[in-house]
Amino acid sequence: MDLFLQLLLNGFVNGSHYALLGVGFGLIFGTTNIVHFAYGPVYAAGAYSAWTAAALLGFPLFLAGLTGVAAATVLGVASYLLLYRPFVRRDAPTFVVLIASLGLFILLENLIAILFGTDKKVVDGYSAGIHFIGPTFYTDIHIYQIASLMILGLALAAFLRLTNYGKAIQAMTDNADMARVIGIDTNKVSILVFAIGSAISAVPAVLILLRDGALPNMGFIAVFVAFLAVVVGGVGSILGAVLGGFLLGMVENVGMWQIPTEWQSTIAFIVLFFVLLVRPQGLFKGT
Amino acid sequence: MSEQLLAVERLSVGYGKKTVVHEVDLGLAEREILIVLGHNGAGKTTLMQAIFGLIRTQSGRVLYRGEPITGRKPADNVLGGIAYVPQGHGIFRSLTVRANLELGAFVVRDRSRLEEDMETVFEMFPILRERATQIGGTLSGGQQQMLAIGMALMHKPSVMILDEPSIGLAPNLVERVMRSIQTINREFGTAILMVEQNVRYGLPIAQRAAVLKTGRKVYDGPPEPLEDRVELMKLF
Ligand SMILES: Nc1ncnc2c1ncn2[C@@H]1O[C@H](COP(=O)(O)OP(=O)(O)OP(=O)(O)O)[C@@H](O)[C@H]1O
Ligand SMILES: [Mg+2]
Repeated sequence: MDLFLQLLLNGFVNGSHYALLGVGFGLIFGTTNIVHFAYGPVYAAGAYSAWTAAALLGFPLFLAGLTGVAAATVLGVASYLLLYRPFVRRDAPTFVVLIASLGLFILLENLIAILFGTDKKVVDGYSAGIHFIGPTFYTDIHIYQIASLMILGLALAAFLRLTNYGKAIQAMTDNADMARVIGIDTNKVSILVFAIGSAISAVPAVLILLRDGALPNMGFIAVFVAFLAVVVGGVGSILGAVLGGFLLGMVENVGMWQIPTEWQSTIAFIVLFFVLLVRPQGLFKGT
Repeated sequence: MSEQLLAVERLSVGYGKKTVVHEVDLGLAEREILIVLGHNGAGKTTLMQAIFGLIRTQSGRVLYRGEPITGRKPADNVLGGIAYVPQGHGIFRSLTVRANLELGAFVVRDRSRLEEDMETVFEMFPILRERATQIGGTLSGGQQQMLAIGMALMHKPSVMILDEPSIGLAPNLVERVMRSIQTINREFGTAILMVEQNVRYGLPIAQRAAVLKTGRKVYDGPPEPLEDRVELMKLF
């Protein structure tokens, strides 16, 4: 029973992490229809930039985190402007853009490995406080992971609802052609969602850096779960991405109660399989 | 040609290397209703999209109020007073009727006029008022077309380009939509450039007609002669 409670808590924490990854990825995917696989290494670059700022330049942690966010934002916008946009302008088929994205994924991941080496980078001198509720424990990082989802999720929801740019994003998510027809500059909106989505991804990246350390291939699992969360939740729905992320985190961890750890990502795929079988449009689309 | 509100000069448009609209000239005067006819695949939609800046032109020019606007972004054209109602219900299907109309006014900076402008649309299409909170995609085909026209009205255009507004509508609705286009033209002085296959209801409201055949203009003049089926058939 104690183990079960611990797994439940871990599921909630990891679910928050996946949910935030899904929100950033889903915002980009839902709005622009670009399957931005390079979201993974952009996320990793966020972690490595924060590590550089903290470990090499001696920035205080909070400032180092902001450096990570800034770096991911710049890299995300650059990948749109330099790589995706030329294809979008030529009306290239989706799969061509997909290949380009995979290419960028490999390029960026290798660049990170060349620049930083393949050993694990940790921020020395940081150790998260550990807290207990009865037999279950959690750390400061776990709290930050949950809090960051709540704060950024609510802020994004308010932005989408209340601002003109937010409404433009909603319109483009629904129908990009119509968005152009009513006078929305879809190029500007694309730049904006790449900026916001990439910035969001850097927050869980920095928290993972503090929790587990950074590795060059850390982006793969990040974009993998982000993609799953979005597809499970329903493309174009922010709430869907959040719930999809939670579902993955919960199933994965609670599954470990009875199933060996090696099966963790397989379980995620099985969830995806069954959800799509029953609801091909995703769990929460159209609600 | 300088008194034209919107003018197209020797415009060629295509996809890749293929040209589907060949050196078309077209003029639209202030407050005029011009109907464009032509067989399926004649290039009507292509021509309208190119005028509005949705696709690239190969050669020729588009002039608006005497200024060249060829290849200008749709966003700038909307700001300048040109509205576009695309072929096949151009609405946001997942958003409410009200949200659709608000988005229609996206480029309008003065938000205080929003309610007033929406009221104007509701007066023209009372059904939209009744359905204000309904999701766009669940409206009937005719209601969706009214919503699409209502959205275009929300930014108070000087020119409205409509691509087959009657497509897929029952005859009584076609008449209803044509009448509202005529009302928009008369009440607000909006010039209308309309692609329409429904000759029976489209021609009577037009002041002038043009016919496209495999991408070339083969007729430009008064609509009345085209009401004769034999005459029309020769052009198709
Ligand atoms: N995106 C595209 N890529 C390539 N060819 C296209 C594209 N869109 C249209 N075409 C071709 O251009 C020609 C003109 O098409 P267009 O849609 O302009 O015709 P239309 O007159 O509007 O026809 P309809 O009455 O059926 O709407 C057609 O031969 C069509 O196949
Ligand atoms: Mg057409």
